[in-house]
Amino acid sequence: MIEGNSTFIHVGQIHVDVAPASISTILGSCVAVCLYDRKSGIGGMNHYLLPFWNGNSLQSPKFGNIAIPKLIESMLERGVNIKNMEAKIFGGASMNISASNNMMIGEKNILVAREILKEYRIPIVAEDVGRENGRKIQFNLQNAKVLLKYTIKVHV
Amino acid sequence: MENVANKENMGDELAFLSKKILELNKKLIDSEKAKSRFLSLVANKLNNPLTAILGIIPHLKIIDTKENELLFELVCKEVSNLDFKIQNLVMASEIESGNIDISYALVEPLEIIDEALESLKHLIKEKNIEIKINSSIKQKVVTDPKKVYTIVKNLISNGCKYGFENSVIEIDLDIKDLMFVIKVKNQGDAPKVNYKPEIFTRFAKDADGKHGLGIGLSVVREICERLDGTIDYEGEDGFVTFVVRLSLDESMVDSQAYGSNEFLFESFDDAIEL
Repeated sequence: MIEGNSTFIHVGQIHVDVAPASISTILGSCVAVCLYDRKSGIGGMNHYLLPFWNGNSLQSPKFGNIAIPKLIESMLERGVNIKNMEAKIFGGASMNISASNNMMIGEKNILVAREILKEYRIPIVAEDVGRENGRKIQFNLQNAKVLLKYTIKVHV
Repeated sequence: MENVANKENMGDELAFLSKKILELNKKLIDSEKAKSRFLSLVANKLNNPLTAILGIIPHLKIIDTKENELLFELVCKEVSNLDFKIQNLVMASEIESGNIDISYALVEPLEIIDEALESLKHLIKEKNIEIKINSSIKQKVVTDPKKVYTIVKNLISNGCKYGFENSVIEIDLDIKDLMFVIKVKNQGDAPKVNYKPEIFTRFAKDADGKHGLGIGLSVVREICERLDGTIDYEGEDGFVTFVVRLSLDESMVDSQAYGSNEFLFESFDDAIEL
């Protein structure tokens, strides 16, 4: 069963909540960035599919370089000080097909997360990225911990 | 040994190029930020008063003269047109803010089409367009009714706007290979663009400079993708057909890897904690 009351987010969604809520998602080559402020118990998660906005579709958070700044903005709007933010990143698996076929999307998704978080000077305190497994994660804002399980097989 | 070195080189290069792309993309996003801000402003500031106006209009008393009736109809037409445009902007703004949520329900497709046609009746009447609906769907389908409504309303409205007067719009509904297929065919010229994707790009002009707000089809494409579907069009012999395919396999829609339902049946007992 879902541990407590968990909000499930899909690709292109951002959710910011406060303890004791929890946020969950399932990742393949997608990446989810979890941000947390220990002082206020406010935390948020995004879930993006591709690293970069393609310049023509809507600037939706299915792109990493839109989703991460938007998540940070949403946290700031809730009154969180950026200096108190900590990040955890998950996902970015390479799928079964050969690396040349999937354009190394997982890798790029991870790179974007690291690069943007570095720019905002938000430390990455935990991560589980890359490799070939899909992941199910649940971000518990109560204790700022992320529960992670690998999925057996991934379609993405 | 050489392979390892090659792999490392490739990794370095990927990192370098990704950083470059990120830099350039940031400039692009900055230059487009004004549009996004405008979008959310319009969506927020215009939506509420318009909803109020829409609610008030039916209660207005018409003093019984022919002229008043015509004026009243004109007001209704303009307001419903405005409402449609604003709803598109609201949806675009929701998508951009990451607040869009897909909620599934058992849906009768024909009801959605009827609802869309009802709200577009002024436009249809104005151009004297005949609507033909062919549906081979006998059962209800599981999809997000509000999103499908937005898709069909945009496609029919475009069909009316860019189609010829006194012509026919054909709407086909079908289920094929676990996909819910919606086709909207109108008589008219295919959009004149250099590249197909341009037609689904927000605020893009077509080659003739004729264009609407440039938001409808970009919203439609985005919604289609959220419903794990696609949109495309083809134009031939004076007909344009837009084809939408939406996945009916919910487990694929919920998440690209696995259905969110998996959460319901499996605990996190032996999960790793990070």
